[in-house]
Amino acid sequence: MTEATATHATYKLPPNVVSKVDLAHLISDAERIDNELTTSAVHTRTNTAIEAELSTSERLTAFLQVNDLQFSNNSSDRMDIIRGLRRLKDSAPVVHMTFAVEADYESLGQLVAWLRSNVHPQAIIATGLQPALIAGVYLRTSNSVHDLSLRGKIKGGRDVLIKELVEATRG
Amino acid sequence: MGLFQRKQDTQQGTPEEAAAVALLFDDAFREELKDRGRLHFERVINENAALFKQDLDATVAHVNTELRQRVARQLDSQFEEINKVNAQLKEHIAKQLDDRFAEYDKTLREAQDAALQALQRSAQALEEQHRQLGLALERSIASQDAMLTGALEENKARIASIKDAQNVALQSLSQSAQAVQEQHQQLSVLLQKGVSDQQDMLVDAFENNMAQIIEHYLLQAVGDQYDLKAQLPSIIKQMEASKKAIVDDIAL
Repeated sequence: MTEATATHATYKLPPNVVSKVDLAHLISDAERIDNELTTSAVHTRTNTAIEAELSTSERLTAFLQVNDLQFSNNSSDRMDIIRGLRRLKDSAPVVHMTFAVEADYESLGQLVAWLRSNVHPQAIIATGLQPALIAGVYLRTSNSVHDLSLRGKIKGGRDVLIKELVEATRG
Repeated sequence: MGLFQRKQDTQQGTPEEAAAVALLFDDAFREELKDRGRLHFERVINENAALFKQDLDATVAHVNTELRQRVARQLDSQFEEINKVNAQLKEHIAKQLDDRFAEYDKTLREAQDAALQALQRSAQALEEQHRQLGLALERSIASQDAMLTGALEENKARIASIKDAQNVALQSLSQSAQAVQEQHQQLSVLLQKGVSDQQDMLVDAFENNMAQIIEHYLLQAVGDQYDLKAQLPSIIKQMEASKKAIVDDIAL
């Protein structure tokens, strides 16, 4: 296993880590692997090693790959990665996206990929559901909101709609 | 009969005598003797009976005479006593009747006197009552007269006041009618304004509600027909349009 060379500020997130929950699961996976390796090292030191195969999650494997990282036997390197992931969880920019329908994972992957390639490489999404939006997305960052929904468009064009309705009803 | 029964021979004669006697006194002779004795006895009895009857008739006549005289004397004396008793009784009854009549006369006189006195008292009381009733009637008539006069005056005053009140009421009614007419005109203006305002309000409500209805309709009609995959190109396109603003927000 090699040493961790990237820091949390330069960590890239794989496409299957979309939300803050996914990031929490990634940290949990890393901590589990770290515990297993620590336990294995203790058993080796006490000559009571048990042959056990480490099973990393798909999410952790993808993270290690995109960042060119590996979990070494050095526990401090592992702790650096875990610590970096924790800091990343706290510092990663969160974009709240509210949809009119239930969001599927694949679509969320495409959206987060667009965000990471166009806005911020560590962006993650917090999703919400609001059928009143009709269609589109209601996007909220820490500083402002962007109503990209059909309801927003209709509301923006309400004056025109009312004017046309009144003209239609009054002949 | 013992009287004519054959007697027992007390002298004892010779049989020849006995036979001579028996021959003389045969049964036929004896029967003839019996008939002769019977006739003789009847004649004696009849003679004695006639004498006895004669004596008895004389005695009865004598006794009757004596008895009549005695009874007459006794009756006379009895009649005298009865007359005497009757006279005494008459005298006693007459005396008692006189006493009773005197007592009755006295009582009757007293009762008459009492009745007369009572009648006099009643007459006096009636006269007094009549006099008092007359006085009371006069007083009552006087008070009624005064009261009626007062009531008449009061009614006159009331009628006058009612006439005044009627005049005031008529004036008030005419003023009220004028005020009502003015109010009617004001109400008409207000009503027209209210109708116009309500019409405007209904039009506004219609405009707002119609827009909401159309939105709701669109939500119902379109909301479930597009999943996120179908919307994704449109969303990314809009995000591209807002890319700069989003990047600036994140960078802050």
